[in-house]
Amino acid sequence: MSTDTQTGTGAPAAVPGEIAPRGDWALSWNGVRTVATLELRQRLRSTRWKIALVVWFVVVGGITLLTTGAVGLLSDSPGMDDPRTPLGPLVFGIVVFFVLFLGLLVAPTLSASAINGDRNAGTLATLQVTLLTAAEIVVGKLLAAWAAALAFLVASIPFIAFALVLGGLSVVALLSTLGLLAIMLGVVCAVGLGFSALTTKTSGSAVLTYLVVGGLSIVSVVLFGLTTPLVTVRDEPVRVWAPADTYDGLVEPTGSPQCEWRTEEQWVVHTERTWWLLAVNPFVVVADAAGSPVDDEFMGAADPLSGIRWAVREARSGPADEVDYCFDWYGNPVGDSPVAERVPDSSPVWPWGLGVNLLLGIGGVLVAVRRLRIPHRKLPRGTRVA
Amino acid sequence: MTSAGAPPGDSGDDRSGTVTGHGGIVVTDVHRAFGEVRAVDGVDLVARPGAVTALVGPNGSGKTTLLLVLAGLLVPDTGSVRIAGYDPVTENYAARARTGWMPDTFGTWDSLTSREVLTTVAAAYRLPRELGVQRAAELLELVHLTEYADTPAHVLSRGQKQRLGLARALVHDPDVLLLDEPASGLDPRSRVDLRGLLRRLAAEGKTVLVSSHVLAELDEMADDAVFLSRGRTVASESVESASAARRTWRVRALDPEPLAAWLTAAGVPFTVEEDGAALLSLDGDPSAAALLRDAVGAGVPIASIAPSSGALEQAYLALEEERR
Repeated sequence: MSTDTQTGTGAPAAVPGEIAPRGDWALSWNGVRTVATLELRQRLRSTRWKIALVVWFVVVGGITLLTTGAVGLLSDSPGMDDPRTPLGPLVFGIVVFFVLFLGLLVAPTLSASAINGDRNAGTLATLQVTLLTAAEIVVGKLLAAWAAALAFLVASIPFIAFALVLGGLSVVALLSTLGLLAIMLGVVCAVGLGFSALTTKTSGSAVLTYLVVGGLSIVSVVLFGLTTPLVTVRDEPVRVWAPADTYDGLVEPTGSPQCEWRTEEQWVVHTERTWWLLAVNPFVVVADAAGSPVDDEFMGAADPLSGIRWAVREARSGPADEVDYCFDWYGNPVGDSPVAERVPDSSPVWPWGLGVNLLLGIGGVLVAVRRLRIPHRKLPRGTRVA
Repeated sequence: MTSAGAPPGDSGDDRSGTVTGHGGIVVTDVHRAFGEVRAVDGVDLVARPGAVTALVGPNGSGKTTLLLVLAGLLVPDTGSVRIAGYDPVTENYAARARTGWMPDTFGTWDSLTSREVLTTVAAAYRLPRELGVQRAAELLELVHLTEYADTPAHVLSRGQKQRLGLARALVHDPDVLLLDEPASGLDPRSRVDLRGLLRRLAAEGKTVLVSSHVLAELDEMADDAVFLSRGRTVASESVESASAARRTWRVRALDPEPLAAWLTAAGVPFTVEEDGAALLSLDGDPSAAALLRDAVGAGVPIASIAPSSGALEQAYLALEEERR
């Protein structure tokens, strides 16, 4: 390369004679940033994007106001004894779920056309032939889609912060919730990117991404309900601490019963075998990680996040090994019960769900990188290289 | 016609391209099928450094597929390819670094300005930022898009996009240029510029492979031609030899009568066109010169004598006839 003096097309000195080869999976910040900047420039300059952000802001704001109004009305009604019950957690929970719901709807549109859309427009191959690696193209596109999704999250922060001002919330809970919301949106972007590399049509990849999102958010809960009969044992022997057979206190109150251990066959629902169906749900992940302290009783938890957390942890704990039936006629417990108190597993559920979701996202990225490696050996039916 | 840009040491480059593997494009018996469709079905091709090689063939003859293989986007089913001494299958990255590819579909990033398109590509080729900016300015100047530097690419006309595409292929100063229909959509002025640019790049020692089916255009810029038909190489020859080959010339005189009489007397077979011009078959420029000298000597008022069509077109049509 010594032609730099001949014409205007002279050789840039920076292209060395020998270029160190880089593999398809090599990543450099420079390459990732180039792709991400390109993607963001392509998106940010379309006005649709700005309109979408404004609509989002208005909708989330409206929901926050309506929720606050409705909850305020409820707490002022005669049924509520303590008007000073903090409204923060309730409003916070509703707003967070609404933001997550809308985010899960918006995120697929940001990434599900990133690869097949470029392929159809004839701009993908021109990137592939440059010195960008397949991994740089995919990660750059993911970062750009994620950043766009985060813009929607940022537009919701004023309302989430408003819920914080209503009281009853820790800043830590707020931050962890925002963090998990961000990660969940990133996962959906990554899944969309994977499908976008797999399918030819942008509508196809969008539908597949929505199916995954719907599967995680709705089908998982439905499946949990529908599989209940499968995990129900009708005649499971259960050790019970119950009044002796001689005790006829069930007929009339005749003092305290004598209780004894015996084994009864009962219906037992083993939700500890299916709890993971709930755990993978993005809403459960966010709810389980956020909210008020762990030792809250269900009845005391007035906000949806704590309620969901209580429910999923109960489901994971499953049925108790021993049951205490030793009550007198009035239903009062008798004497010192030898039955071990059932302690629900209070360790967090969200790391499991987060892990599964992250694996899905990583899977999407890996699929996309594999699909973008060149030279192509096989082309999927109906696709063009350029 | 052919020697305008041929650099000294041409033959030496040629040898290094084929023997020691230091340049040019060498394609040996490449096949590539898409399912049942055998898009490329036995192509052999050598493009020398320092020369412009034309890739000629009808629509669907496998030109674009071949260029995709050369650009390192497709793996050939069988056969071998060397680009600037590198195998785009096993040494894809190194081959990519030295290849500039201009696709036939000019997909552009619509929202980016022309300048941003070029700086983005420069960054993608890992050029330092300042160099990329400088390079973008140079190239915009080169393809006469400086006044559109800061307008979004989607505002550009087809020909302007085509020129931007050419600039994009040149950003990293590649040793090998693959241009798929570069002249389509270009106005006459831009075609002349393109021709000059490609000749200059060849003079710098680059390997330039141009596909087109506008043969007249290739005549003026190409040194060598490779003819593809139904995915196969059907002929390779230099444009010089194609010019030297027997082809039809068109002779026009002020008065058709003496011309016809003289040709008949000289025993040269010819046909007469509507305007009185004679079409006759000659084997190369020396024969034409001799004919002209003799005719003028005999007092025939010759107004013009020229090949009735381009050299490549003649060769191409001859091949087409052979196949029938």
